[in-house]
Amino acid sequence: MKVFRKCAVLTMVAALLLAWPILAQAAGKAPYKIGVNLELTGPWAEVTKTVKQAMTMEVERINAQGGVDGHPLELVIEDNGFDLGRAAVNMIKFARNKEIPVVLGPWEDPLQATTRAIAEREQITNIIFCPSNPMVRGLKQRWSFNIAQSDINVSQRLVELCLARGYKKVLVFPGNWPLALSLAEYFKQFGEEKGIKVIVSRETHKPTDIDMTPQLIKLKPIIEREKVDAFYACTGGPPGPIIVKNLRALGIKTPVIGTHAFGFGFIIALGGAAMEGVEFAAGKSVVPDQLDENDPVRPIIIDFDKRMRARYGQGLDQIAGHAHDAIWLVYDALKRCQGKVTRAQFRDALEATKGFKACHGIYTYSPTDHDGLSKEDLVFIRIEGGKFKRIMFPGFK
Amino acid sequence: MDLLGLISQLFASGITMGAIYALVALGFVTIVRASQIINFAQGEFVMLGGVLAFFFIKGAGFSYPVAALMAVISVVIIGFLLHLLVVYPLRKASALIVLMATLGASIVLSNTSALLFGTLPKTLPPFSGDLSVQLGGIRIASQSLWVLGATFCLLLALHLLAHRTLVGKAMEASSTDPLGADLAGISRNLMVFFAFGVSAGMGSIAGVLVTPLFYTSYSAGTLLGLKGFIAAVLGGWGKNSGAILGGFALGIVESVSVAFIPAGYKDGVAFVVLLLILYFRPKGILGSPFIDSRRW
Repeated sequence: MKVFRKCAVLTMVAALLLAWPILAQAAGKAPYKIGVNLELTGPWAEVTKTVKQAMTMEVERINAQGGVDGHPLELVIEDNGFDLGRAAVNMIKFARNKEIPVVLGPWEDPLQATTRAIAEREQITNIIFCPSNPMVRGLKQRWSFNIAQSDINVSQRLVELCLARGYKKVLVFPGNWPLALSLAEYFKQFGEEKGIKVIVSRETHKPTDIDMTPQLIKLKPIIEREKVDAFYACTGGPPGPIIVKNLRALGIKTPVIGTHAFGFGFIIALGGAAMEGVEFAAGKSVVPDQLDENDPVRPIIIDFDKRMRARYGQGLDQIAGHAHDAIWLVYDALKRCQGKVTRAQFRDALEATKGFKACHGIYTYSPTDHDGLSKEDLVFIRIEGGKFKRIMFPGFK
Repeated sequence: MDLLGLISQLFASGITMGAIYALVALGFVTIVRASQIINFAQGEFVMLGGVLAFFFIKGAGFSYPVAALMAVISVVIIGFLLHLLVVYPLRKASALIVLMATLGASIVLSNTSALLFGTLPKTLPPFSGDLSVQLGGIRIASQSLWVLGATFCLLLALHLLAHRTLVGKAMEASSTDPLGADLAGISRNLMVFFAFGVSAGMGSIAGVLVTPLFYTSYSAGTLLGLKGFIAAVLGGWGKNSGAILGGFALGIVESVSVAFIPAGYKDGVAFVVLLLILYFRPKGILGSPFIDSRRW
């Protein structure tokens, strides 16, 4: 009898323990789950670590403030190892999970075409970190959104930089991958509209090239013969500093302009003293402390920078900025969803985003524009004394 | 700049790359002569040399020369460990199995480096600043001169090691005539052990030399290892002189080829050269002790 009573008590305690999460759930509201499909291993591991840290911090902040109308946010993070197959599997897995209305990632351009196609088929919103490219834009996909500055905006802004500097003739040395080639093409198109002579070199480079000297030796006669005013290193990642280093070692003193991909600390570290004087246009989060007093996104950037420093000991950069913006765009869209959040409602809400302020600028999506940012969200930057320094030209906002 | 000027400038940049290929090729040959093993972790020694030197400067705060020395010593120890943990236990297995084992070791080494030191590319400052020297119409980065000078000294040191020291002579003997060396009481396993150390040392010095010129990252070893292997085959598989000649030849051909074809195909040139060599002269430029020339 005594044994029986003990058993009964134990069973009741166990039942209560088991039921506790359900009871607790009833008190709060069910979380909104966000799928995250990132290159956490492989060559981009260090970059995506920052993305993960920044996203975790922002989600915790949102939840501490009471979530989205009482619903907390929850990240479901999967690693794709910079592998197309795994990125696709993750995307399908998220799509089959009915609790997930949106997937963030991938980070890199080669993976986006695949996840976009899956997003379109499975009808789930996909927010992609890298810029869109002309090929995917041509598809007019309804379910995919990009948050980085597009190749068109970057090229327009860079043409303005050339006009401000008075460059009349620019030689472009593009990387041999779609995004770099489209950057070069748009730069030529916009530049020639404004009367700048743009020569796109037939010599290209690959992302894995560790020595550009041979290509640059071939370009040197063109630089000297045509007397170009500026050399546009149209590339991203390690090739950028390598090009500048090799160029200077060959004794070419032509000013160098670069893409927004030059706005990362490790680029200066790789290029060393050769990087002095390189100019480009990039997101405002590259220079958090040098923004205009009346810049509408300044308070957001300064606050986020402070919190990143306090928690991870490392200030804001473009990478963390993208992560911040992705989370807050989702937050904003969820907030505007009326009633129960469905995938279709979320998509429509995100597409209706108007003038949303975040680290990289002011996002406005529309059925015809899934890129969000505009060229005004890019600032001119010059590398000086091993640091990024904002430069301003009268007449160019 | 006329075509001649262009070619001479490309030639100069090819020599630098050639010196690096030569060191990697020599690393392959040192091990293959001692043990008939193709060590596919050779490229990782180069990568580790650069990455560890970077770590000792930035992470541990040592001065440049100390950090470089410590990087080389660490890689030599890794080379010894590679022999003790991977190659020695498989000494009775077939060459193919050992080859797969070294391939596995190379993957382990590169991924360990990614885990410990991160995946972002790293670089070291040039030994004597960002100077470049003008020679006639050619401009050469001062680091290139360092690479050439150090390669020359290293080759000289290797030559002296092989011909003037007891250990070196024993290694030579063991690779020239293994049975004879066995009879003379030279432990072949010990010689292979030393060969791994020497080879790792050469690879890591190449890594420290080349990192300021370009950059290094956890995955940089694979391509350098492959190119070094091609250089060794090109010059004559299993010959020290062949490895050096092959390295410089490959570097120069690769670089000068850019004058005639778009640079995007530069990496392909090395593999085309390898194919041509395998078709028409499989024993390499200087001939190979491992390939029976009568069959060709």
